[in-house]
Amino acid sequence: MSTPIHAHTLANGLLVLTREVHSAPVATSWIWYRVGSRNEPGGETGISHWVEHMLFKGTPSMPRGELDRLIARNGGVFNGFTWIDYTAYYETLPADRIELGLRIESDRMVNALFDPSEVESERTVIISELEGYANYPETWLDEAVKAMAFTVHPYHHPVIGYKSDLLAMTRDELYTYYHTFYTPNNAVLVLVGDFDTDTLLRQVEQYFGPLPRGPALPAVRAVEPEPQGERRVTIRRPGPAQYVQIAYLAPDCRSPDFAPLAVLDAVLSGARPLSFMGGGAQTNRSARIYKALVETELAAAAWSSYAPTRDPFLFELSATVREGRDAAAVEAALLTEIEKIQQGGVTPEELARVLKQVRAQIAYNNESVTDQALQIGMWEVLDSFGRVETLPEELAAVTPEDVRRVARTYLTERRRVVGHFIPTEEQEDGA
Amino acid sequence: MAPEARGIAGATRYVASNGLVALIQRNPSAPTVSVRGEVRVGAVHETAAQNGLAVFTGAALIRGAGERTFQQIVAETEERGCSVNAAGGLHTSGFAGKALVEDLPLILAVLADMLARPAFPPHEVEKLRGQFLTSLRESEQETGTQAWRAARALLYPPEHPYSRLTSGAIETVQALTREDLVRFHQRYHPAATTVAIVGDVEPEAVIALLESSLGAWPPAGAPPTLDLPPAPPLEAILRRDVPMSGKIQSDIVWAVHGLRRTDPDYYPAMMANMILGRLGIGGRLGENVREEQGMAYYCYSNLDADVGAGPWSAVAGVNPANVERAIEALVHEVANFVEQGPLPQEVADARDYLTGSLVLSLETNDGIAAALLAIERFGLGIDFIERYPVIIGAITADQIVDVARRYLSTERYVLAVAGPPAG
Repeated sequence: MSTPIHAHTLANGLLVLTREVHSAPVATSWIWYRVGSRNEPGGETGISHWVEHMLFKGTPSMPRGELDRLIARNGGVFNGFTWIDYTAYYETLPADRIELGLRIESDRMVNALFDPSEVESERTVIISELEGYANYPETWLDEAVKAMAFTVHPYHHPVIGYKSDLLAMTRDELYTYYHTFYTPNNAVLVLVGDFDTDTLLRQVEQYFGPLPRGPALPAVRAVEPEPQGERRVTIRRPGPAQYVQIAYLAPDCRSPDFAPLAVLDAVLSGARPLSFMGGGAQTNRSARIYKALVETELAAAAWSSYAPTRDPFLFELSATVREGRDAAAVEAALLTEIEKIQQGGVTPEELARVLKQVRAQIAYNNESVTDQALQIGMWEVLDSFGRVETLPEELAAVTPEDVRRVARTYLTERRRVVGHFIPTEEQEDGA
Repeated sequence: MAPEARGIAGATRYVASNGLVALIQRNPSAPTVSVRGEVRVGAVHETAAQNGLAVFTGAALIRGAGERTFQQIVAETEERGCSVNAAGGLHTSGFAGKALVEDLPLILAVLADMLARPAFPPHEVEKLRGQFLTSLRESEQETGTQAWRAARALLYPPEHPYSRLTSGAIETVQALTREDLVRFHQRYHPAATTVAIVGDVEPEAVIALLESSLGAWPPAGAPPTLDLPPAPPLEAILRRDVPMSGKIQSDIVWAVHGLRRTDPDYYPAMMANMILGRLGIGGRLGENVREEQGMAYYCYSNLDADVGAGPWSAVAGVNPANVERAIEALVHEVANFVEQGPLPQEVADARDYLTGSLVLSLETNDGIAAALLAIERFGLGIDFIERYPVIIGAITADQIVDVARRYLSTERYVLAVAGPPAG
């Protein structure tokens, strides 16, 4: 049902992926850089995200504010985001205006100013973003669990960075980082929408072709060693409820065990919408964790999560403890659900349901060119854009025995971190 | 832009014998269908003592309806990758479904049962109450929620439903009974209901399905009416500070009374709001507070124009040390805008954005359905999307500044701040 994706590489190494979709007169332009918090050295945590912010602060030909105005005047929407493995920017526009996306992204790939006064004003904006997250108890628990789950790999630190690093970061550090990672050979341009591919590729060549290839990139060497036992952390701060988060070190998306683990996640919590921008179907309420935790009134909310990543990351179980219940009971109930699968496996009916849900989520996702481009770009920077097309088959090939095996192999006591958030009395403010 | 514009204007409007209005639009771009609907009953129909009743009732519809239990509803829909949901809101109670086209009959049948024959099983009501109480405790400790609770209480008198949050309060939700939900649901009426169905469907076939589902919902009594009490004009600057321990950042809400969606002032006010606090990264407010002064990650304005005149507000999340400076900046930008009005370039930008981005908002089934519901709710006319560029194109800078002067004030407004205690 999806139209094919075409790949084209410019002489400077920029990979261009296009998919023509003519159902609505809109088009989207995404640029993905293979850089995220996993690339950050100690002392420079948060630098990927800060660089992303600086790309909205102007170039010599497009001063700050002009980019927003141009996109608005052309009826478009835009944004950028930074994650552990990648940084991405997009513009979605009426189809006849899509050239504007190419103009903006080719310009700021090399010409972003990093004006010192803009760097200073953005420092406090980002600290304000960090302080906004810190208002939520879940943030404190999540950061503690991840810090404990990764002792060697940079997935240890939050994407937003540490406040101390944000206070100390210099303009030159930001600029050097930008020039290291923002090169055509470290980027993927994804174009989806109502355009003629040949015409658009000529424009791509015109905008991006003259940009110089960059040097080879510093590799991420760190490999998280095999955990040697359960680790536990309890956060005590003012808060409205108890929270539980359990994280198991789990394979990256290129592992043959990725598909069985993705199926396991969907058996526990339903196959979730593909796009984080909304638009899919809610499928968790008939799945195992909701029935075992929420329907039994132990938790107000509970779910598992497992996302594709470049390096081994986490398979997680999370819950908001219901009033009158306690974190220990919720933890035990979550672990029981894992043990049930380790011992009894899953049924063929559950696998069939997961596959039908995945196919439906793909169909909903295909309504939007923006959401299609998100999937294509994300898979390319993590592994290969071809996974967008092969994933349903990979999932269909998973057997009940595969699911049981990965649950036994990876979701073990020694591979897990267990975190609890326990509210303190209001006056015990530790901030 | 033309195919989509014609698409909406070509939607089929069908009135069932029970008074329910259906808007059906064929969109063959994906093998999917979206159902989105609303009953014009909401928190505006609940008393202060029963605050949270509309939200509780809406969420309870799925917890058992017709012949199905909650677990049967979710099992039967989710195993096919469909979803159904319902939720009470301020003016309306919404319901929605999403499916591959072949499953449209199933989700229409389930949604019809949820609206016409909800069971409100006592144990499901209690289960839901527990979830609500936990999420209320969570939101009670959110700075944004607390700032808005305070701002609404300052803007509207206690008898006005806009003076409260639709989520209710812990005490009121604790006190609601199953019978309260049953009684509130009796206000739901097919003649006060609109449903939009958009996807790879044929309108005639959908009408046949509706006749045996939502169209068969028997009307009982008269459809609900709405009579909002007046909101006395603000006479001064009213401020409330809500100290919250354990918080790192403060949320600021600045607000005045806005206007109804059907008010003749609506379009100039909407343009004024775009320029003041939305275009780009938060319009003039974002430019000052975020871009120039680096004080906030978010700072923007919002015009809540619906059935009644909701708040016209500006918000920012800032470090507690910057609260007074951020308020000063917000008030300064409002004063400046009221005094000088928009620049010609700003008017052109807002106009081009609003008309140019129409095709983006009409790309997906959900987007088209939302547009159709708004057209019906506010009586905009089925050709509204075609007329919209003309409406927006006719708004002048003089109209914008005139509206800004009549609604935005630097002497009469409310201010609420929630965050770490001062000092």
